[in-house]
Amino acid sequence: MDGFERNVPIIEVKNVSHQFRIGKKGDERIVPVLHRIDLRVERGEIVTIVGRSGSGKSTLLNLISGYIRPTEGEIIVDGRNVTHLSEGEWADFRLDKFGFVFQSFQLIQSMTAFENIELPLVLKGVDEKERRRRAAAMLERVGLESFASHYPGELSGGQQQRVGIARALIGNPPVILADEPTGSLDSENERSLLAFIRELNLKDGVTFLIITHDEQVASIGHRKLVLRDGRLVGEKPDLPYADGHAERQSQRQGGDFV
Amino acid sequence: MKWKDKLRFVRQNLKKNKSRVFMTVLATAMGCSFLIVLASVGFGLQKSVVDNITKGRLLTEIDIHGIREDKGYRQISDKEIAVLESIDHVKAVTRRYRVKQFAEYRIGDLKTSGQPIVAHMPAEIAAGFELAAGRMPQRDDEVIVGFHFADQLRPSAEQSGGAQVGGGGDAAPPANGRDVSAKAKELLGATMEMQVKQWFGKEQKMFEVPVTVVGIAKAPGREWIIDANVYVSEAVMKQIESFTQTAYGVLSPPDQPANAAAPGGARIYEEVKVYADDVKNVQGVVDKLTENRYASHSIVNQLEEVNTLFLIMKTGLVLVGTIAVLIASIGIYNTMTMAVTERTPDIGIMKAIGAHPKTIRGVFLIESGCIGLFGAVIGTAVAYAVGYAVNLVLPEVIRAFLNGDPPEGLRFSYIPPTLVLISVSISIGVAVLSGVRPAVRATRVDVLKALRRDL
Repeated sequence: MDGFERNVPIIEVKNVSHQFRIGKKGDERIVPVLHRIDLRVERGEIVTIVGRSGSGKSTLLNLISGYIRPTEGEIIVDGRNVTHLSEGEWADFRLDKFGFVFQSFQLIQSMTAFENIELPLVLKGVDEKERRRRAAAMLERVGLESFASHYPGELSGGQQQRVGIARALIGNPPVILADEPTGSLDSENERSLLAFIRELNLKDGVTFLIITHDEQVASIGHRKLVLRDGRLVGEKPDLPYADGHAERQSQRQGGDFV
Repeated sequence: MKWKDKLRFVRQNLKKNKSRVFMTVLATAMGCSFLIVLASVGFGLQKSVVDNITKGRLLTEIDIHGIREDKGYRQISDKEIAVLESIDHVKAVTRRYRVKQFAEYRIGDLKTSGQPIVAHMPAEIAAGFELAAGRMPQRDDEVIVGFHFADQLRPSAEQSGGAQVGGGGDAAPPANGRDVSAKAKELLGATMEMQVKQWFGKEQKMFEVPVTVVGIAKAPGREWIIDANVYVSEAVMKQIESFTQTAYGVLSPPDQPANAAAPGGARIYEEVKVYADDVKNVQGVVDKLTENRYASHSIVNQLEEVNTLFLIMKTGLVLVGTIAVLIASIGIYNTMTMAVTERTPDIGIMKAIGAHPKTIRGVFLIESGCIGLFGAVIGTAVAYAVGYAVNLVLPEVIRAFLNGDPPEGLRFSYIPPTLVLISVSISIGVAVLSGVRPAVRATRVDVLKALRRDL
């Protein structure tokens, strides 16, 4: 299955700048973080953004996620200008369009793995029967069917991140935003997670925008963007998009990750 | 997010800190209980007073005292009765007057005396004259006797006491309770000789009217009233008048020609009551009566005044009681604020993945509302127990320390469903209001701070 429509933008960041105000009121300092960023992520892509700590990559992801508003420029997601959405509109939009994978998993500790996974569907108001069916299927997909009733504290880091990914995927969002998804994982779990991301992209056409400082993680992207001092300084597509997706992946990764 | 899921969230959240939630619920329960018990005193006193006013009386009953004229009032006669009967929503107009002399009643060897009451039986039937036993008269010679009539009967050898209303004299103790005594039941179907007298020159002549007792009136509404009356028909009155040659059977003094009016004139009634067909039409009938210059009094008017007074009193008590609930609300506010603080990371996660601020606010408001509801339920149960105990113990305390009985039918605490509804609404309302600020705070949780700037 070719998992995405080519050349259809899902995220467009246009001339976005952002600056933070720090210090006490009346004695504030303005710290510019991002400068005139232009970014386009197309459906079915895996785009990675690398950069050193403080380069502004997390801020860029926060802007795309709607957690903060850009000082200048505009952001368009799935054809909708989201720059000036209200908090409530953003919440609905985020629930519908994005899945989130966090470095430290961000699972609700008082909920079981199953409850954490079905949470987006609960927020969407999906019927309980349907919710349970989909959550059970998702648990099976991430290989945690026997851990459904476990609380996050009873799971390993790798298992928790799989729960996190299952939660991100359960609502079938077109884009997964991941911030240092392997940051808390050992090398074995990291390999396993990256393989799973590739599989999702290849089979289901899920779009990924991944923030990382790890070159190995960054290498799974179709495009790797480099952010330095708040500026996008380079873009390095590994392979031309005109080729077949499976073929491209196979050539790039040696066909060893699915 | 569906309501069912919100409630599941709330249940999980409440379970997280059971002792804190329990203490908050307890404080709310105490506040709600105080509110109900305090207000129940107002409700109890109102009920006692209203019961006292309405006891033995129909709410649809309107007393007609007379008709206003330029110089005072004129009593009601047949002409006015016809007018009264023609008013819309008037079900019946009862009219009564007494025979103007004491008649002697004899049943076998027993006798007593009193002034018979002449009643218009069809109107009494239409008004719903209440019987304790027997039936309403169907013939002119049939009569009804009062509930205590049988108690007044004495053997003929003894000096008879007067049939009295209001007790006193040498009357026998009245029948206890509301059940007809066996002695009274024996009267049903018995023939009673009703003896009246009149002076004709120097000679006093007796006249006996034989009547049959067919019914015994229901016991009066108040225990201290003794009803030993005999209710006779207009036909009996006419027999008496034809004997006495005076209107209303007036007994003329010996050696004096009768000064009283001759029979046959228009009847003047001593007691006229109008019955409306429904309580809601009483005011309309009263208005119509007032418009036609009738002096009337309805229990509904009296109740309105009393109820207005008690409404003010109850409102005051509810407001004072609400202060207790407001104090409890400080606890709810505190509990909810702590809950928001403790759950900030969870709120952050939920917001990060797309929880709508309304959803988060809703969950916290339901949570505080639930605390109010649980408190109100427990508080109501406690209030019922306290009210019951107060009603049980306080009369005994009064007897012990004030050397007297509390007023008959006095109820210190009465908790009607309305009071429960008001108190539960206030408790839940105050609880929800005290949860508003923490809930709004929850919606304002900064996602990035909550996630410790993870993303």
